[in-house]
Amino acid sequence: MLAARASAARSASRIVRSFATVVDTAGVKVAAVDNGESTSAVTFLVKAGSRYENKPGVAHALQNFAFKSTNKRSALGTVRESELYGGVLSASLSREHLALTAEFLRGDETFFVDVISSFLTGAKFTRHELHEYVSPVCAAESAALASNPAGRAIEAAHALAFRNGLGSPLFAAEESEVTIESIKEYASSVFTKGNIAVLGTGISQEALSHLVEKSLASLASTGSPSASSTSYFGGETRVDSHGGPQTVFIGFGTTGAPTPELAVLAAHLSPQPSVKWSQGSSQLAAAIPTTASVQTVLLPYSDASLFGLLIQGQTSEDVKTAGTAAVAALKQAGSISGEEFTKAVAKAKFAAASASEARSGLVASLGPKVLGGASASVESVVSSFDNVSSSAFSSATSSLFKSKPTYVAVGDIKSLPYADELGL
Amino acid sequence: MFGPLGISLAPQVRASKTLTRWIKPFANWYVNLSGYRKMGLRYDDLLVEERDDVQRALGRLTERENYDRTFRFKRASQASVLHANLPKEQWIKPEEDIRYLRPHVEEVVKEDNERKVWDAISVERRK
Repeated sequence: MLAARASAARSASRIVRSFATVVDTAGVKVAAVDNGESTSAVTFLVKAGSRYENKPGVAHALQNFAFKSTNKRSALGTVRESELYGGVLSASLSREHLALTAEFLRGDETFFVDVISSFLTGAKFTRHELHEYVSPVCAAESAALASNPAGRAIEAAHALAFRNGLGSPLFAAEESEVTIESIKEYASSVFTKGNIAVLGTGISQEALSHLVEKSLASLASTGSPSASSTSYFGGETRVDSHGGPQTVFIGFGTTGAPTPELAVLAAHLSPQPSVKWSQGSSQLAAAIPTTASVQTVLLPYSDASLFGLLIQGQTSEDVKTAGTAAVAALKQAGSISGEEFTKAVAKAKFAAASASEARSGLVASLGPKVLGGASASVESVVSSFDNVSSSAFSSATSSLFKSKPTYVAVGDIKSLPYADELGL
Repeated sequence: MFGPLGISLAPQVRASKTLTRWIKPFANWYVNLSGYRKMGLRYDDLLVEERDDVQRALGRLTERENYDRTFRFKRASQASVLHANLPKEQWIKPEEDIRYLRPHVEEVVKEDNERKVWDAISVERRK
């Protein structure tokens, strides 16, 4: 009976994995998969993150302009009409991509694709909407990020590690004044056919292609924002901050396409337990004090990735103890035993596979591939871990230390340790 | 109903050449008689601003427009204190008397009306 159930699970997984052929629909890449969900979701992924912006904060303002008034309907009309259909609209910004997502009941795709595409083709970008709705939200989001020590540390780490491009801040600075003209200019430079990928779940490829072809016909076909290739710099900075845990971020950057070795390293080091209310089995978990926490952070981008350890604690001493242990664990990671390596690969593989089960994770892992025109399948995300060898892993780990690490301390900078005090 | 945003026959008058020719002199005479241009004000400065929609429209003026509006008010109140019109070279000329606020008020009214429509909409199940 067990065997029968296992084989059923295997065949079910085969159905799930038959993902998404990428079709070039009049210049726009469209990928869709239908697993028989009762709701559909469509994401328009635009290469319009903060990396490509020409003025600081423009990408953030553009994100918050999503679903405001267009030539077809007003902001209020968009909200009320999608409420009547029972759908959810959302926009999210990363350093590379702006994702406009609509989730809705099956059969309503005509309306929701039209809502998003009318923003891409005919947004009005009125000055009063910028002042009345967009700027306050931008300011609130920036303030929320600034009051979060972990967020500040990672922002500062990006600026140190990559300087321009990927290093430019994700959110607009609170005092920055973004003008409506610069937003319009940025929007017209990024909303072009070659710059957009459409990902659908719970919707058939033909239906989505047909809708996208019809609704995005008026977009300019060529042109995309220029971005210089990323190089890694590294460095050290200390940011004074009050209220909130003492925070230290130790980061290492690599250039080139993200590799699965780093994900394995993150899985190996992560002290997070697999069972709630227990201690993780990694070597690091035993060494950190109970009032401190260590998280592994892996941020992959199209031509670089930032891997790091985020260490937080109530006092600077906690952070110092945990940080020293974390750096020691990282240095020893290159020479782990075969058993531990297998465990780390399995953990990383599970994390990747389970993230791509959810819609947001699916878009995050497959979106860049679809934009690049490569074939996108969940299977390729998971199977990339099969080829990770122990030697490649240890060479990837040791090469991290060859360049200067990125070190950020946020909190009480008088007592927080310096990079060399942690053994870097 | 009354006031600058009330019912107006001006579009109908402007559409007809004959009517325009007959009425224009009276209109000009009336504007000059009302004397706001001699105080250095524009017609849209006279809009009743103690209303929510006009307040919202005022918020949509550019910084420059807002500054100029405040300047005209200060100059006019000084003229009022002195019980005298401004010197003739400072009077607002007819071509300067543009409706800078009205488009914004109309936009706000349109938005308010749209909100009323959505609030009172009746929905039918799709067949």
